[in-house]
Amino acid sequence: MSSSLLLRNTLHRAVARRSVLRSASAVQARYASDSYQATYVPGGPVYKGTVNDPTTFPPPSRVHGSYHWAFERLLSAGLVPLTVAAFVTSPSTYPVLDGILGVSLVMHSHIGFDSMIVDYLHPRKFPVLGPTATWALRTATVATLVGVYQFNTNDIGLTELIAKVWTA
Amino acid sequence: MMSTKVLGLGPSLRKPAFAPRLVRNQVVARNLVVKRSVQTQSLPSTAAVEILDKQRLRRPSSPHFTIYQPQLTWLGSIANRATGGALSALLYGFSIAYLVAPGTFDSTHVIEFVAGLPDVVKYAGKALLAAPFTFHAFNGLRHLSWDLGKFLSLKAAYATGYVVIGASAVSTVALTLYGN
Repeated sequence: MSSSLLLRNTLHRAVARRSVLRSASAVQARYASDSYQATYVPGGPVYKGTVNDPTTFPPPSRVHGSYHWAFERLLSAGLVPLTVAAFVTSPSTYPVLDGILGVSLVMHSHIGFDSMIVDYLHPRKFPVLGPTATWALRTATVATLVGVYQFNTNDIGLTELIAKVWTA
Repeated sequence: MMSTKVLGLGPSLRKPAFAPRLVRNQVVARNLVVKRSVQTQSLPSTAAVEILDKQRLRRPSSPHFTIYQPQLTWLGSIANRATGGALSALLYGFSIAYLVAPGTFDSTHVIEFVAGLPDVVKYAGKALLAAPFTFHAFNGLRHLSWDLGKFLSLKAAYATGYVVIGASAVSTVALTLYGN
């Protein structure tokens, strides 16, 4: 503490006065150049590119917003009568119903997995793992759709498989 | 220290610091004593952010998830997600397995395999599949009722939560016993 006192008292008075009198315009001119990464606002420059940056918001879009939400709820609601109908009727007489159920189930699962990725592996915090997981999910969903189609076409179909396994 | 200013000791402290009285012995002693050299590293000003980030990664965080009191609200919510995820993983896994190896995973093999299991395993397996399915279905209905604006108070959330658990239990038992 005594060292700071020493320095303060021995600082040349003229130097001190000169630093205070440095004009605000000179400061602004120094910050106004494009190469400087901060914008000068009264109170101090605002630096961009640090961890203190506010979060960015995605561009507003109905497709990814309210339409997605509504589609998700309609799909979930529709799965209830679809499942009941598929298991009540005989699967071999209504293969189209089986197909619609399969596709709806896969879409519902995809939306569910996607919300898990957005919640736990957001690209904002996981810049590599987040997008990787998203694309891995999309690949897996496509593969599942192909597999479900193959199973429903070349084999007995999902509902009949579950019914037969349940009573095996 | 403020006391030096108050007591008027400032000038007397300053004088020896800026005009040390050197004695021959002191000079010799100073040259003989090994000066501790400090290694300095020249860093650009952008390195400040990197150092700060590294320090922030090392900092501990106070317990949050491990100390939150278990409640029907959030336990039901995570159970909904977990059951949905597990059932979907089963669906995805089976479909991709059938795509990759249709010979081993086609319906005849699967039904044969299940039929050959002991009864206890069959019952356990059915219960293990029926419980997440029924819970997810009934909790899904609860979610959809919230989306319509119903049952949004705390009391209603708890009441519907218990209804969902009860309905899942009853239907799990019914489904497990069905088909035997």
